Amino acid sequence: MSSYRASLILRLLDGLEAVRAALWPTGAARAVPYVFLAPAVLLVFLLALGMLYVGDSSLRVLDRSTFQQSETYSLGNYALIAERTVYLRILWRSLLAAVVVSLVTLALGVPYAYVMVRTASSALRKLLLIGLFLPFLIGQVVRAYGWLIVLGHQGLINSGLGVLGLGPLKLIYTYPTVVVGLIQYMLPFAVLMLAPAITAIPEDVESASDGLGARWWQTLWYVVLPMAKPGLVAASVVVFTITLTDFAMPEILGGGGNDFIANAIHDGFFAVSDAGLGSALAVLLVLIGSTCVTVLFALLGTGTLGLKQRGTA
Amino acid sequence: MSSVRAQRIVFWSIVVFDLVFLALPNVIIVVASFTSGEIIRFPPEGFSLRWYAKLLELGEFQDAMLRSLYVAAICTVVSIPAGTLAALALVRYRIRFETALQVYLLLPFTVPLIVSGIGLMLVFGAAGILGRLWPVGLATCVINLPFMIWAVSASVNALDPDLENAAANCGAPPTHVFFTVTLPAVLPGVITGALVMFMLAFNEFIVSLLLTDARIVTLPVRIYNSIRNVISPDLAAVSVVYILVAIAAVWLLDRLVGLDIFLRSR
Repeated sequence: MSSYRASLILRLLDGLEAVRAALWPTGAARAVPYVFLAPAVLLVFLLALGMLYVGDSSLRVLDRSTFQQSETYSLGNYALIAERTVYLRILWRSLLAAVVVSLVTLALGVPYAYVMVRTASSALRKLLLIGLFLPFLIGQVVRAYGWLIVLGHQGLINSGLGVLGLGPLKLIYTYPTVVVGLIQYMLPFAVLMLAPAITAIPEDVESASDGLGARWWQTLWYVVLPMAKPGLVAASVVVFTITLTDFAMPEILGGGGNDFIANAIHDGFFAVSDAGLGSALAVLLVLIGSTCVTVLFALLGTGTLGLKQRGTA
Repeated sequence: MSSVRAQRIVFWSIVVFDLVFLALPNVIIVVASFTSGEIIRFPPEGFSLRWYAKLLELGEFQDAMLRSLYVAAICTVVSIPAGTLAALALVRYRIRFETALQVYLLLPFTVPLIVSGIGLMLVFGAAGILGRLWPVGLATCVINLPFMIWAVSASVNALDPDLENAAANCGAPPTHVFFTVTLPAVLPGVITGALVMFMLAFNEFIVSLLLTDARIVTLPVRIYNSIRNVISPDLAAVSVVYILVAIAAVWLLDRLVGLDIFLRSR
C-alpha cells in the first residue's frame, strides 16, 4: 500500500520535473530566485501603488462647491493642516502615548521574557508562552471590548468600588484608558522581540557578575540590559510605531475625545469627506513615523531589525 | 544570596501582574457571556447560555463570521506560496539589489496600517473591485506578508544546504529535491507562518473597516459597529468565539511546531 503510494508520488514528481524541464531550460537557472520572488514583489506592489495614490490625492484640494478634487497640484491641504492647532494636539497625544507605552511595555516585558527564557521548569515556560500567545492572537476589537466591560460604568472595577461605597469613576473614554489598552495590546509583541535576545546571553556572564559581588540590579543594568540591546531596540521600535499609528484603541476606548493621527485620517475621509485632507495627514504620518524610527536607530543602532542579520546573505 | 531572592521577588511580582493584565479583558468577556441578565454588570445576575442561544438566531453575526473565515482563507492560501518562495530566494540565492528588495518587502511593516488601508482602498476603488470580498483577503495578505517571510526564513536558515546538494548528487532532479528535501525541511516555518497569517486576517480590523461596506462587513467590523450602540452580552458571546479560535490556534501551534521556537536566539 505505502510502496504503491510512494511510486505514485515519484511518478507525480517525474511529471512535474518533465513540465519544469520543458518550460524551464537549465540555462535559465539564474532566473530562479527572481521567479521565486515575483509573487511577493507583486503583492507588495499593490501597497506601493496605494502609497502613490495617497501621495497624489494629498496634493489635490477639495472644491467645496462640486465636491471634486482639483485637477492641479497644490500644497493647500498641508497648509490647512499647519493652520489648525487641533492637529498639533492630536500629534502630541499620539507621540506621548507612543513614548509611554514603549517604556512601560519594556519595563513589564523584560522580566517576563527573562523568567520565560531562564526558568528551569518547562511547565512554567509553557504557561508563560500560552499567556503570551493567546492575547497575541486575539484582535484589538475584542480586547478593547473586554476593557469596556472591566472599566465601564457598571463594569468590574466600578462595581468593586460600589461595594466599598466609592465611585463610580469615569474610567472609559479617557486618555489613560487608551494608554492602558495599548500597553496590554503591545506587551506580547515586546516580549516576543525580547525573548530571543535574552536567550542569546550566556548565563555564565550573569553568574560571573554575581560572583564578583554585583547586586542583582547592577547585574541587570550593567550586564543583562546592554547585552539584550538588540531585542530592546527591536521591541521599542515595533511598539513605538504601532502605538503611534494605532486606530482601534483610541477609537473604541477613547470615545471620540482622544483621537490619534489614524483617527484623524479616518475622519478626513469619512466624517468630512475630504480625501485630500485625509491623504495629506496620511503622508505626514508616514514621514513622522519614519523620522522617529530613523532617530531611534541613530541613537540605539538597528538591533535585530537590521538587514544584515542573515548569515548566508 | 539575599540579592538573588530580591530579584526573584521583583521579577515574579511583575510576571504575575503581566499574566493577570494580559488575561483580564479576555477572562472577563467569558464571564460576562454567561450572564442571565439583560446587561453586563458585576457580580453577574446568574448563569445561563441564553446569549449563546441568541447568537445562533442572529444571522448577521454568522454571515460576518463566514466572511471573516473566507477572508482569512484567501490570505493564507495566497501567502503560503508567495512567502515561502520569497524566503527561499532571499536566504538561498545570491540576488541583485538584495538590500533594496528586503527594504521593499518590509514595506507592509514600515507603512502604518491606516495608510496601507487607505492606499489599498484607493487602488481597489480605481480598479472597480471595492465592495467585493476577495480583495479584502488579498489586502490582509499584503499587510502581513513579512510575518510569513520571517517564519519561513528561520526554517530555511536552519536547513543545511548540503542536504539538498547530497540529493542532487544522488541524481535527484531539481523538482524532486524541492519537493522531497527542501519543502519538508522548511515545513515548520510554513506551518507557523500560515497559522499566524490566518489568525491575523481573521482578526483584521482597520483595513477591513476601510475596504468593506455594510453588505460585506467582516466579524471584527461587525463587533465594532455593535459596540458603538449598546454593550450587551450577545457581543460577549461572539467575542468568546474569537477566544476559542485563538486557544485552538495556540494548541495547534504547540502540537505542530512547539511554542519554544519563538525563544530561539537569531
